[in-house]
Amino acid sequence: MAALHRPALPAPRALLRQRQSWLVAAAAVAVIVGAAAFQVNQFSTATSTSYDINELNRIRAARQAENHELEAQVASLSSLARVDLDARLRLGLVPAERKLYIQVNQPSPRKQTLPTRFLPTESSGELPPQEPLWKRLLHVLPFF
Amino acid sequence: MFGQRGRMNVRLFILGGLFLLAGAIVTGRVAYVQIARTDYYQSEATNEHFGQQEIRAPRGAILDRNGYPLATTVDAYDVWINREDWQDDDAGRKAAGFIGPIIGRDPDELVTTVRQQEDGLYLAFGGLDFEKGAGLHDADAPGLRVVLTTKRSYPEGDLASTLLGFVGRDHVGLTGIERDFDRELGGVPGTIYFERDSIGNRLQLGSERVGQKPKPGGDIRLTIDRYIQRLVEGELETQLAQTGALGGTIIVMDPKTGAVLGMASQPGFKLSQLDLNKPVDQALFRNRAVTDVYEPGSVFKTLTASMALDLGLLTPESTYVDEGAEYIGPSTIRNWDYSTNGPVTVTQILQRSLNTGAVWMSRQVGAENFYGYVRRFGLGQATGVGMDGEPDGLVRDENDPSWSEVDLATNAFGQGIAATPLQVTTAIASFANGGKLMRPYIVESMDTPEGRREFSPVVVRQAVSEQTAASVADMMNQVVEGIPGHLAAIKGYHVAGKTGTTTEATLADGAVKNGNVASFIGFAPTDDPKMIVLIKLDFKEDRLGGQVAAPVFTHIAPSILAYLGVQPEGPQLVTTP
Repeated sequence: MAALHRPALPAPRALLRQRQSWLVAAAAVAVIVGAAAFQVNQFSTATSTSYDINELNRIRAARQAENHELEAQVASLSSLARVDLDARLRLGLVPAERKLYIQVNQPSPRKQTLPTRFLPTESSGELPPQEPLWKRLLHVLPFF
Repeated sequence: MFGQRGRMNVRLFILGGLFLLAGAIVTGRVAYVQIARTDYYQSEATNEHFGQQEIRAPRGAILDRNGYPLATTVDAYDVWINREDWQDDDAGRKAAGFIGPIIGRDPDELVTTVRQQEDGLYLAFGGLDFEKGAGLHDADAPGLRVVLTTKRSYPEGDLASTLLGFVGRDHVGLTGIERDFDRELGGVPGTIYFERDSIGNRLQLGSERVGQKPKPGGDIRLTIDRYIQRLVEGELETQLAQTGALGGTIIVMDPKTGAVLGMASQPGFKLSQLDLNKPVDQALFRNRAVTDVYEPGSVFKTLTASMALDLGLLTPESTYVDEGAEYIGPSTIRNWDYSTNGPVTVTQILQRSLNTGAVWMSRQVGAENFYGYVRRFGLGQATGVGMDGEPDGLVRDENDPSWSEVDLATNAFGQGIAATPLQVTTAIASFANGGKLMRPYIVESMDTPEGRREFSPVVVRQAVSEQTAASVADMMNQVVEGIPGHLAAIKGYHVAGKTGTTTEATLADGAVKNGNVASFIGFAPTDDPKMIVLIKLDFKEDRLGGQVAAPVFTHIAPSILAYLGVQPEGPQLVTTP
């Protein structure tokens, strides 16, 4: 009588199991690599955005400084000392020897405009719009 | 754990127990650090990784009454050099060669100076223009540190230097308006948190957060008019040059409100020539119109006359017989020109500025009433103008142990009483506004952290009645127009005024003991005054107020009145259809 022996498993099933293991492993590696790449990408984006923000802040500071400088220049150009110097040197005017007062039926000239920064601000009476809720929540988080 | 045949291996059990214990300890410690002490370690980490820097708030501007900036702020850079980085000869000279021309310093001198420093950073230039500083900021010179800052800019140049004052290197006001209103001008600094490296340097690509935004300083609008201010400063400088005066003060005020339209004093200083690194006479920083006292002299006779009129004791036509001298005990009071004038009216007492007449009027008033009125006119007390350093002045009344009848006599013509030019102007201004003593003010409005604050005219008290004020104004008009050729008379305008001369005065901060103060005070037009002007000039030698101070009024008053839109009377006015 021949000894009983178990028949071998059919080959396709073993292959299938092997293939499944490889797929699972590959998927796991892909997930890990993807997560890592995503994190790297996030960090890189944050870093470059931070750099852009710093650069924009620098530009804004430069523009503000330029504005202040221009305001000061406008004020200097309208200063009495400069007007007097210009009148004497460029236009050749001299102090009046005789003064005549003439009444003219015309409106007086408009006052010289000033940089708006020096003009009193008029409040509209309305409250400033409130920040949306999601923005207010973000402020609770650190570094926002 | 179990040995052969299931027997427990005690050693393995103990080892396992130890591992369990260690794990429990570590877990407990982690839980303690990460849960129980979260806040503490979080703040420690934040302190380690983050630094903070104060963001200076932009300083507010100082404006004239029409909004023209007298002092404003612009961005600038401070240029610092690290001494250690310049120890290498090549590096230092190369950097100095680049930096020196930009900041206006000789490169060799710069290298020498930096190397002489003991350690640390050396300030090579403070307040470099923003454009130049930005260029340095982008350069990579060794040892160079460029720090953003601000500096004051004065569009009107040296105008109102003493009044405005200046700020120090730390942008804090040190004198004048800059100091008196430093809180309003300075604003509230902010804070920025930034990521830093292990030695504290800011990470360029690190995160940062504004903790508190800086609140810009508020602007201050003065009552000063830049045109009038320039006029009086120019005239004062001219007078000092032409007459040889040691110093002086000119004040222009709106008598009805107390608003100071112009205020000039000499000796003073110029903002454009100020260098705090050099020793400087701090006395030059005083606003002498507010801080320095003097004896008003004959100008005071108008106040004495007003007392007698207000009490109903005398009228402008009341008569006094001038015999050339008044006797008080062993003392004799004579007129300034040693004249004897016979019968004169109260108006003529003022016209001829008779000391004897003033003594007679003070006797009619009496000591108690006299000093009561002196206080009602605000003398012997600060005006409350709001500027630092204002004294009360000096008035010695009948209750003072050292007082005597002679004091009443001399006080009647303005000697023995010390007041500031601003106090005198405010007192006399009451004759130009119906008898009210107004509180002088220089600040019209200011923006504070709590909001805009505006200042209105304040009536301190009714010094004399409206009728008395009108009578005195009329007498003062007679002083100017009743005397032919009076040097304060102006064509087309009715002027009310009085001259004053004080002898044996202490001047030049005590350097001159027997000096002379010549003054004139006047307002115009008499029927509806728009301005009152006080001119005070200090001399080493004797000079009369009528000769040197009164003409100054004629130089500036027509321009001021025309600027204020006051039409002159008479044929000069030509009307077009």
